[in-house]
Amino acid sequence: MDFYIGLLQVIGVHTLLGLSAWCILHTGQVSMAQGGFFAIGAYAAGMLTAMAGWSLGPALLIAALIASLIAIAIGFPALRVKGLMLVVATTAFAEIVRLVFFNLKWQVQTPNGPIGPDGGLGFGGIRYFPANGWSGLEILTLIWCLVAGVMLVLWLLDRSRIGTLWRAVGEDEVAAQSAGINLTAAKVSAFGIGGAIAGLAGGIFSHNTTHIEHGNFTILLATFAIAYPIIGGLKSLLGTLVAVVFIQGFLIEGLRFLGDWRSLLFGAMILAIMLIRPTGLLSAPLRLSLFNSKRNAPVDDGKTGAGHA
Amino acid sequence: MAWIDFLDLVQSLMDGVMFGATYALIGIGFTLIFGVMHKINLSYAAASVGAAYLSLLIVSVAPTPLVYLFAALCGGLLGALIYFVCFKFLPLNQALATLMSTVGMLLVLEEAIVHATAGMPQNYPALFADKVFNLGPFIVRGDLLFVFLLGCAVMVGLKFMLEKTRLGLATRAVAQQPIAAQICGMSVDQTNASTFVIAGFLGGTAGAMTGAAIGVLSPLLTLPLTVKGLVVTVIGGLGSIPGAILAGLIVGGAESLFQFVRGVSERDIYVMLMLFVFLVFRPNGLFAAPGGRD
Amino acid sequence: MSFLRKNALALVPVIAALLPVASHSQTRDVKIYGFGAKSGVVRIFGLNSEAAMKAAADQINKAGGVTLGDGTKGRLVLEYLDDRCTAEEGINALRRIAASTDGFVAVGPTCSNVAEPLFGILQKKVGDATDTGLQFPVFTDVAAKGGLASMSQWAFRNVPSEANMYKSLFDWIKATRPEIKTIWGGVEKDFAHSNATFNVMKDFATKAGFEVKGQSEWLLADTTFSNQVREMRRGEADLVMISAHPFTTCGALKEMQRQNVKPKMMVGLTSSSSMETLQGCAAQAEGMIIPTSFAPVTDDARKAAQALQATGMSMDLHNAAAWENIFTLKDLIEKAKIIAKPETIRADRQKMRDALASMKESSGLLGKVGRTDDREAIKPFLFVQAQKGEWAVAHKPN
Repeated sequence: MDFYIGLLQVIGVHTLLGLSAWCILHTGQVSMAQGGFFAIGAYAAGMLTAMAGWSLGPALLIAALIASLIAIAIGFPALRVKGLMLVVATTAFAEIVRLVFFNLKWQVQTPNGPIGPDGGLGFGGIRYFPANGWSGLEILTLIWCLVAGVMLVLWLLDRSRIGTLWRAVGEDEVAAQSAGINLTAAKVSAFGIGGAIAGLAGGIFSHNTTHIEHGNFTILLATFAIAYPIIGGLKSLLGTLVAVVFIQGFLIEGLRFLGDWRSLLFGAMILAIMLIRPTGLLSAPLRLSLFNSKRNAPVDDGKTGAGHA
Repeated sequence: MAWIDFLDLVQSLMDGVMFGATYALIGIGFTLIFGVMHKINLSYAAASVGAAYLSLLIVSVAPTPLVYLFAALCGGLLGALIYFVCFKFLPLNQALATLMSTVGMLLVLEEAIVHATAGMPQNYPALFADKVFNLGPFIVRGDLLFVFLLGCAVMVGLKFMLEKTRLGLATRAVAQQPIAAQICGMSVDQTNASTFVIAGFLGGTAGAMTGAAIGVLSPLLTLPLTVKGLVVTVIGGLGSIPGAILAGLIVGGAESLFQFVRGVSERDIYVMLMLFVFLVFRPNGLFAAPGGRD
Repeated sequence: MSFLRKNALALVPVIAALLPVASHSQTRDVKIYGFGAKSGVVRIFGLNSEAAMKAAADQINKAGGVTLGDGTKGRLVLEYLDDRCTAEEGINALRRIAASTDGFVAVGPTCSNVAEPLFGILQKKVGDATDTGLQFPVFTDVAAKGGLASMSQWAFRNVPSEANMYKSLFDWIKATRPEIKTIWGGVEKDFAHSNATFNVMKDFATKAGFEVKGQSEWLLADTTFSNQVREMRRGEADLVMISAHPFTTCGALKEMQRQNVKPKMMVGLTSSSSMETLQGCAAQAEGMIIPTSFAPVTDDARKAAQALQATGMSMDLHNAAAWENIFTLKDLIEKAKIIAKPETIRADRQKMRDALASMKESSGLLGKVGRTDDREAIKPFLFVQAQKGEWAVAHKPN
């Protein structure tokens, strides 16, 4: 039971990460910076509870806020670049964040010894959950309430005018601009909200693992972050959840019986899914034939406009 | 700054620029594929390292230059494989799907390397490894010089191919105007496939050169090379080959310089910041690619 | 004829049902779980540990197995989980083991950056009802970053104390090589183990009376070392100590050869005293001295190395600890009278933890292994030197 609870906790955290990428992908921007906001949230929340003794709620809130502010700050210069250049620029940002934490040394003395980020050695001792008697079930409930809350907020946003603006910008920027849509507001707001969600996810992550270090927040994590919405299907929020369950639940944990082959199969399955359902697991009906000419595939079959540099 | 520090600085720069030739080769591969297909192949660096590993199969029976050639050939093969698996069957407008499919390929290639070698570093043969030239107070490494010159030769060869051969003409035509090219009777599919194969040759050479410059091959190389390759491509200008060459040398030199001045922990921060500076002042890169009418 | 056959056939399931019952009263399967990195660059650690543990279990089973608390004989069965050297998967793997009905101890992890978060989620103090951490004993074989076992009373380690080893090494160098006065360091900064160990090296080198003139730094995946080795050359130190893993150690050593940096002596990181280093740069590593907790110098060590060689793997200090752990666990299972049945498994875990905690010493391949109060090991060690492509014993301190 404990194992499934733990697994569901991990799935919850990764779903939040995926949802943060979903926001930004929706406006047609491929951002590899979600891992960076995740790291900012993780360190911020960890420092607040472990070093300053705050309780979890305010710590998570502030962590999300800080991540969001930094995301908005990134969102403005990100307006100037599109497509592959944005991918590389956000990758560079994520690497900078990781390296800043790699160099960060700030410790305070507590009765249990020095606690705080210690450069390359990481930041340990974030024991808020076990020390305050949170049971696995309680942590799980917290995480999934947050996931449900975020999904609800995003769903409402999607249904509202903001969602329409986002989708318009995502489909075709030029047309959106001609229709008088403020591109800046749409893109930066997507960055900000995505950043907040990623920061929230990071805050929970650091409390779940009790020890974080720069090596947790590499480009691989950022790649996973955008993989979830892409594999799940950008048209649907639930798709991200399904993709996380598929990757974390099935590919990583479920395939353990394959032993050595699990890691090899991991990349192969992602590849296979993209070939069979390029618009994601939860989107258009299954394309039955792989071998008909793909050049003339239906044009607006989940096209998001991203990548058209 | 003392004279000796200045000498060290220049030496650092020289070493960095020469090592940058390997980055330039990887950058050319990325930019070539992007220029022609407007898609990014994230598994390119992994395939390059993979080709170098494959060339180790003949290392005990063949002389070193043949090993390098074999690496290039394997690179071409892997390039064709990647095209066939990741790109051929996906509609061109599904940019995100191709991105993810190349990510999947990257993971598969990396794990394949790890499984085949149990993750242990493998010795890679280098030419002229024990030759050092003394240029006044400076030392020039023989093997790095060879890597640099070979890289230059490859780039010249590529330029020749692109400008003087039919295949090169087709590649440039499809890059600028795919629809017009099709009307003129060129097979876009074949051209794309051959672009991947050529980029694969380049990648195999780059992998071999990287292995020769370091002396060992390790699966640790794939991810950093991917990031550096992307940085080089963007700084140089997407689709521009001379841009990638120059950018590769600049990134190599800058990396060494930053390390000399600020140490290894902050080095990459400055390389990334340099990328941002380029994006702000020259968002289209050093040399913007020859644009077509979209 | 067919009547007889029908009856005979009817007997078969009866006999089949009786057989396991018959053997059931003789032996029972006792599951020992292991976990560590079997994917990624550090895959070799997990592979080696698993092979050593299996070989040890085979030897024990051939000798009659382990005697359980209710008198039956137990057959050790090993299951090894891959944690891919990531914190989340390591935690998931341990939770999975804890959720099983046959696991009462786990040997692992191999990566220090998994061990630290993992020990963090364990219950800190036994019996603390307000602490909801996991209650499962972990007996580590490889992850060696200093001081981790003190994080939880459920965490126990059988890894060498690098503080002890390097203190002894530098004292020995001071005593036997008076011409060596200055040291230059090289460190891989972005890996927890090498970074932490370098601080230990620096500390004890200074305490032993050497002057550490400076250090060169690089990252785990770095490919050029010309800047760093140039600094080294300018430093003109007598001894160079490198705290890095084989990939960058070899890179740095090759660069040192290129720039003609020939220190009087070289000291390396414990983990680098393996085949990896010699495979990558045996010529350049010639003469490097590394303290290690395993070398085939005793009968036990030689026999263990041979047993492992028979399965195609080689033994080094890391999987030697895994081997030792299995034998130690056998002794503890018998001492604590572990029953290893699903209904007793929770009690078994507590018994195992208590047995591990009360252990004053265990038997290691190089001699007796002492235990400290915070659940670490005091392992006998010796110094090996790279000589002609092999690790030869340089000195056995007592």
